[in-house]
Amino acid sequence: MAGTPMLEIKNLGKRFPARAGREPPPWIIQDMSFEVAAGELLTIVGPSGAGKSTLLNIIAQIETASAGEIVFDGEHIASPEQKALHPGLNRRIGYVTQDDNLLPWRTTIDNVLFPLEVQGTLDDAARARAQELIGAVGLAGFERYYPHELSGGMRKRAALIRTLVYDPPMILMDEPFAAVDAQTRTQLQEDLLRLWSLKRKTIIFVTHDITEAIALGDRALVLTQRPARIAAEHPIPIPRPRQVKDIFTMPGFAAIYAGIRADVQ
Amino acid sequence: MRWRVWFDRLLVLLILLAAWQGGSLWLGNYWLSAPWSVATRFFAALFNGEMVFHAGYTISEALAGSVIGGVPAVLLPFLLRRQPIVVAILDPFMVGGYGAPKLAFAPLFILWFGIGIESKIALVAAVVFFIVYFSTLSGVRALEPKLVQMAQVIGASERQVGRHIVFPGAVPAIFAGFRIAVPYAIGGAVIAELISSNRGLGYLVQTGAMNFDTTQVFVAILAATIIVHAFIAVIDLGERFLLRWRPRGAVLIADHGT
Ligand SMILES: Nc1ncnc2c1ncn2[C@@H]1O[C@H](COP(=O)(O)OP(=O)(O)OP(=O)(O)O)[C@@H](O)[C@H]1O
Ligand SMILES: [Mg+2]
Repeated sequence: MAGTPMLEIKNLGKRFPARAGREPPPWIIQDMSFEVAAGELLTIVGPSGAGKSTLLNIIAQIETASAGEIVFDGEHIASPEQKALHPGLNRRIGYVTQDDNLLPWRTTIDNVLFPLEVQGTLDDAARARAQELIGAVGLAGFERYYPHELSGGMRKRAALIRTLVYDPPMILMDEPFAAVDAQTRTQLQEDLLRLWSLKRKTIIFVTHDITEAIALGDRALVLTQRPARIAAEHPIPIPRPRQVKDIFTMPGFAAIYAGIRADVQ
Repeated sequence: MRWRVWFDRLLVLLILLAAWQGGSLWLGNYWLSAPWSVATRFFAALFNGEMVFHAGYTISEALAGSVIGGVPAVLLPFLLRRQPIVVAILDPFMVGGYGAPKLAFAPLFILWFGIGIESKIALVAAVVFFIVYFSTLSGVRALEPKLVQMAQVIGASERQVGRHIVFPGAVPAIFAGFRIAVPYAIGGAVIAELISSNRGLGYLVQTGAMNFDTTQVFVAILAATIIVHAFIAVIDLGERFLLRWRPRGAVLIADHGT
């Protein structure tokens, strides 16, 4: 974990523009600082409405920052100007958003292939990789379904592999497994850990499930509610490879859980 | 369910025909032609080629005008998508063009483009353009910004966003625009022919009225109505194919609009 961090957030602040007839806009995020090392899997826990999605939007460069700095791989990227933003930082930051944002006029397979099509890297090898990912998240047989014909959880899985398929070095994930039943979720978490152990992506994983944050993360950040700040940072020294379904039984789990629990209001 | 609808439609048709027949008996065939005479004349005209001659002319005008007016009306909102200021500047003029009674321009168009097919096409194009423009514009504006952001994060260029996100998203609105425009396109062609033409359904109406031949007037109106139905059926077919990704419920709701 030594060396220069992949991502540095320094004194980040965010408030949305004022609207006529409303009191001055509140700070949604204020004075937030943290770092993410290359190859780290950082989890962020926070109550609903804390500003987790807003934070990821700012990192993904689709939302402006009102104050502070963000340094990605040595490059200063934060800006209060919408025009100065580069969404996805030239494909280096992938973003699995809270809403699936699948294109309703494309089938599952065409949605998954969409990034490759746009990036001009669609070939047989890429198709095979997409097909493999579809199988890995249990969507085999649903390739030709349109999004409205899939369940909420299936749509989220499709959105997840749409980002994995083009292999960006850093991936932001906003509660990707929230709409999935417990068994499938455990399965997906294990799959994610396996993929991550192979490729060592840098991942920021937002969730409000404390167990999930512990099972996946190298480290967990806890956010405060309004304005969002870092309430606490919890290292998760549980050795890898981890068995997600037995995570409760790992030594140290109970203590970390209790610690995070106490910090989440 | 489907059966029931068809049966009831038939019933409504019979009631309308009965009312028409009653009115004709009461007022006399001279003032209000009877359904039977209209039907006989309609089929006679259909089989002796007269109908094809006149209706074909009107259909060509409506088609040519719809293409000439409709294509720029579809393209313009896409080209201006990144130029909200230009759209705002144009807006009052577009609203003016939309609101102006364009059929009243028919004599002017005939003055400018002559009594041939060109003036009729020009009138149809002017009518179709504004309807389709506003419909497409509303489709482009109803764009889901989150889908655009998703595409940008993935690395899509402005052009790719237009092609893969904005255009497919606006297709329902484009179809709605053309569907609304169909009766106006046929109507525009017929009105222009009424004023000055030696061919077309409008010409049939005109000569029929001049000769106190109400049957011929009704035959022409019937033909125009059937053409409108046929156009809309074709549009529906295209829509059903292009919008097969939509939930079935949504397609049904759209169908009620016809
Ligand atoms: N475009 C916007 N304009 C104004 N306020 C906004 C906007 N987007 C978000 N907010 C506000 O920012 C706050 C944080 O929202 P955000 O979506 O980041 O929360 P979150 O932590 O992701 O919550 P959840 O867990 O429910 O997804 C909320 O109070 C919300 O009202
Ligand atoms: Mg959120």
